[in-house]
Amino acid sequence: MNPGSSPTEIAKPRILIVEDEPMLAYALEESLTEEGFAIAGVASRTEQALAMIATAGCDGAVIDMNLGGQSAAPIAAELRAREIPFVVVSGYSKAQQLDTFPGECFLQKPYRSGDLISALRIVLARQ
Amino acid sequence: MTTHEQLASANLQLEAEVRELATRLREAEGAIGAIRRGEVDTLIFQGEAGPQLFTLAGRDAEANRFRGEILAQISDAVIVSNPDRLVTYLNTAAETLYGVPASDALGRHVSRLFKTQWDSPKSRSIAEAALLRLGAWRGELVQVTQDGRILNVESRVTMMREVAGIPGGALAVIRDVTERHRDDARVRVSEIRYRRLFEAAHDGVLLLDPATGRIIEANPFMTRMLNYPHEYLIGKELFEIGLLKDASASRDMFLKLRTESEVRYENLPLEGRDGKHQEVEVVANLYDEDGRSVIQCNIRDITVRKQAEEHVKLLMAEVNHRAKNLLAIVQVMAQQTAKLGDPKTFAVRLSERIAGLAAGQDLLVKSEWHGVEVSELIEAQLAHFRELIGSRILLDGMAVRLAPAAAQGIGMALHELSTNAAKYGALSQSTGEVIIRWRLSEDADPVFTMSWRERGGPLASRPQRTGFGQVVVGRMAAAAVNGAADIDFAKEGVSWSLSARARDVVASDGA
Repeated sequence: MNPGSSPTEIAKPRILIVEDEPMLAYALEESLTEEGFAIAGVASRTEQALAMIATAGCDGAVIDMNLGGQSAAPIAAELRAREIPFVVVSGYSKAQQLDTFPGECFLQKPYRSGDLISALRIVLARQ
Repeated sequence: MTTHEQLASANLQLEAEVRELATRLREAEGAIGAIRRGEVDTLIFQGEAGPQLFTLAGRDAEANRFRGEILAQISDAVIVSNPDRLVTYLNTAAETLYGVPASDALGRHVSRLFKTQWDSPKSRSIAEAALLRLGAWRGELVQVTQDGRILNVESRVTMMREVAGIPGGALAVIRDVTERHRDDARVRVSEIRYRRLFEAAHDGVLLLDPATGRIIEANPFMTRMLNYPHEYLIGKELFEIGLLKDASASRDMFLKLRTESEVRYENLPLEGRDGKHQEVEVVANLYDEDGRSVIQCNIRDITVRKQAEEHVKLLMAEVNHRAKNLLAIVQVMAQQTAKLGDPKTFAVRLSERIAGLAAGQDLLVKSEWHGVEVSELIEAQLAHFRELIGSRILLDGMAVRLAPAAAQGIGMALHELSTNAAKYGALSQSTGEVIIRWRLSEDADPVFTMSWRERGGPLASRPQRTGFGQVVVGRMAAAAVNGAADIDFAKEGVSWSLSARARDVVASDGA
């Protein structure tokens, strides 16, 4: 039986993780799962993330702004276009961040896992 | 006595008085003549208050002394010489200037005092001709004194006519201008020096007249900066050459200069004739130049500096980003070490993992994030077992430079593998060895493979539960190389392998 078809799985919001640092992606995946989210996918590159959004889709996303020197701005634009809520995390300061991602929910690394979960719940509730 | 007798007596008396007066008149004429001839030293005047004495020679001497004192007081040297050029008089200033006392100079040839160094025979003959024809000459000379000093002097020579048998001669009044000449030379040298600075400066320099606001001088660098010819700049106002945006900005600057004497503009966009944009810094100063004010503007092209500042800003942002990322990793390491490990060894395990992470960072920073050689990475992560490398730890691979992300992921995996081997595996006893092998295939799309094989140690077995170390060597390493990683707990020892496309792992040239 396909686990995706079970009623409990359908109720879980599917979150896309866009993070190029494997350790952080792993930790995110773990804490999101523990908090009752489903993982729509883990992407470490912009094109990979865009492909995942196009094919599998997601209900929400956590995006690292900088993917190995590459900006994640196209992913944010795509999510906005699809009205999918997301949270931006980054090692850059808030001022640096706001130039590229105005008005987005933003968390600075290192963040507390609890803060990220709350932020994600808030943006999902806005929908 | 008859009237006749009385008249005759009066007549006799008158005649005697006339004779007496005539005698006195002759005496007076004689005295005046003697005074005139200079034969009288002293006069006694019989006045009502008694005889008064006048010493004529004394008054003359007094006058002479007075004249002598005046000549001694003046700072110019005064020398009188006779037609034979013998010195008949010199004042104190002349004695001092030439360093010869009067006693030594009087009656001697003037060359006892100095010798004139004519710059050419022609100037000498011109001077001599002027003396003959006009009886006077003035001009600048170079004189060499008896003690060898070279003097620059201003000399005025007047010929004296022969008077009452006293032969004529020459009166020379000489002013020492050596110091002034030296100062002039210094000023000239300084002028040359500062002119050179102005000409060669790598800053634009403009001089402005504060009254009109117009440019009175511009150095060559300024003309190069703006690509305007020098003549074009002279007489222009600052806004006309694109330095300030308009006339009112110019006025503001002048007004500010009047109260603050220095105005600084950090970033002014400057547009030259060819439309080239430059960022410039302008420092304007109001100077007093011998009672007349002048504004000096130094204009520095800061385009390169601005670019460097931007670059530094970018680097700082990048450093900030990387530092935060690293802190986030450490945070996860701590959480995971606590969650999946033994609480008793938490502190030790976390410290070891942070040390492993730091060793990897050192290598990346050393290479300026260009990548790390596999062998270097192994040696850094297995630093504890350095003496075993080559004996119980065998490295087998070619030179491969790993990209930063791959180096970090593989580095952390190597750290976990070596820690595990030291605790439970091939490095936990006196026997046992580890073979680390890596390869790059020679396909069109080459594949990078790496393996860690332990043998000869205690029998291995899969741990009861999945620890964080297993996550690091497994899925995290795989994610870091965008490939696959697998760990196998075979009886003869732990075996780990990783494979990924070279383009995801190997540092690109020059990157």
